[in-house]
Amino acid sequence: MSSAAERQHAGPPQPSSLQTPVLQRELDATHTWQGPGGAKPSQITRWMSKRGVIAIRSFVIFIALWWLLALWVNRPVQLPSPLRVAIALGGLIAAGEVSENALISVSRLGISLVIAAVLAIPLGFLMGLRREAEAIIDPVVELLRPISGIAWIPLALFIFGVGDILPLFILVYVAFFQILLNTIAGVRNVDQRLIAAARTMGVGRWAVLRYVIIPAALPTVMVGIRLAFAAAWAAIIAAELIGAPSGLGFAIEWYRELLMSPKVFAFLVVIGIVGYFADLALRALQRWLTPWAQGTELA
Amino acid sequence: MATTNRAPKLKLSNVSKEFTAPGTGQRTVAVADVSLEIQSGEFICVVGPSGCGKSTVLNMVAGLAEPSSGTIEKDGVPITGPGADRGVMFQDYALFPWLNVRDNIGFGLRHGTPGKELSRSTREERVGHYIELVGLAGSENKYPHQLSGGMRQRVALARLLANGPDILLLDEPLGALDAQTRLILQVELLRIWGETAPAEQRKTAIFITHDIEETVFLADRVVVMSTHPGRVKAVLPVDLPRPREETIRAEPRFGHLAEEIWGLIRDEAYRAIA
Repeated sequence: MSSAAERQHAGPPQPSSLQTPVLQRELDATHTWQGPGGAKPSQITRWMSKRGVIAIRSFVIFIALWWLLALWVNRPVQLPSPLRVAIALGGLIAAGEVSENALISVSRLGISLVIAAVLAIPLGFLMGLRREAEAIIDPVVELLRPISGIAWIPLALFIFGVGDILPLFILVYVAFFQILLNTIAGVRNVDQRLIAAARTMGVGRWAVLRYVIIPAALPTVMVGIRLAFAAAWAAIIAAELIGAPSGLGFAIEWYRELLMSPKVFAFLVVIGIVGYFADLALRALQRWLTPWAQGTELA
Repeated sequence: MATTNRAPKLKLSNVSKEFTAPGTGQRTVAVADVSLEIQSGEFICVVGPSGCGKSTVLNMVAGLAEPSSGTIEKDGVPITGPGADRGVMFQDYALFPWLNVRDNIGFGLRHGTPGKELSRSTREERVGHYIELVGLAGSENKYPHQLSGGMRQRVALARLLANGPDILLLDEPLGALDAQTRLILQVELLRIWGETAPAEQRKTAIFITHDIEETVFLADRVVVMSTHPGRVKAVLPVDLPRPREETIRAEPRFGHLAEEIWGLIRDEAYRAIA
């Protein structure tokens, strides 16, 4: 349980209704303390400290620095200005190239995450529950794990050639270890008292697995899936750059060969944005599957 | 409760438990040669300094740990593993965080042996009954992290009772609560145990605590344990009348008993902090 929850049950029956004003007072106090000359915080100070506004401000500063750097370098092929990139992006969106390639990459990612999860989660449960299985499989896992997925691309080119299989293979490989190791950790770290509690209620071994160990390990498995996504999204571009006839990575390589830097940059922007929204979607899935894990270190 | 010639509900005979440290192989004796007979319907409190093996004894009765030597029998049958006939309430309640109050209480009925023969509606009825009994009506759909410590404790108690065990094993169930809530729940615990009912309808309870006044307030007999290794130092009958009210704490006899127990523990308690 989180320390916040611990503090709550020492208090009156409905502490949540009481806590908001306290928190608000603390925030106000912080503002006053930050305010110039001890004056009351102005509307502008309040507005400037909102999270969304901070994000926009950081973003604007980033664009400005980029622009200055682009002016200083003054070689559009090497570093196009944000405006050129924005125009290129607009053109690519209008032509349907962004949605087409993004859809291909996201589909590959989704399929490979599902395959990796289907392979890694049962294996992780087996290794987490059975010491013997872990002793046999773990050495192989530890040997393969440090080898980056990208290192397999040359070999995969020999085996699969350029096509749809190669990026899937690389992504499954990358995602597999993240999910596997987190699943093992999740199963190992299941609170033994929950298992003991179930057993003293006359719950059998299979029911303990199904109704205690699986739900108890699920938050950690979900963390593994999110880490797998991050690793796979980083690897997909490399895999498509070399080994695929389509996708965001392929598009970058295509426009690089044509020396169309603004379009290369435009696709980089797309990679960032799609990755961000995919992570938001995974977080939403996590909240939906494991709402009780909110407020713990796993949320 | 007077000792009679009836067969004991629980019989611990020369029970010892040794733990071996995995790395060094060093052996520690947690419990040494504990013998104890507990009658049906008795409320037993086990008190002792930390490290006296009181939780280990409870776990062995629950079937979660095996004695290294000696035997534990329930109704004359040796205990070989955990079972729903011996319900445990853990110190930090061990509620399932992904289940709401109703599903936590109904867990054993739904997935374990106690509900095997029951229809769905009977199970739901029973869960509802215990929700009422512990005063959780209106909170059925809340999750453990949304509850106060006192409410979690009630969920754990209702979950324990819903499975219909004939032995209640309570491992410092009130330990995490503040002093006031604790006093209130002590009275409530006695009511739920069956203090006002005839003695033969009461469940058998083993209650572990390190709070001396709590033992005097609750118990029929107090088992005082000593540490290194964990042994039974004394068994004291508590001859205070039932049902016990708050006012009993002010009576001289209550103070004398608490004093007597403290006298048995004092030296070791001082040694533990020295």
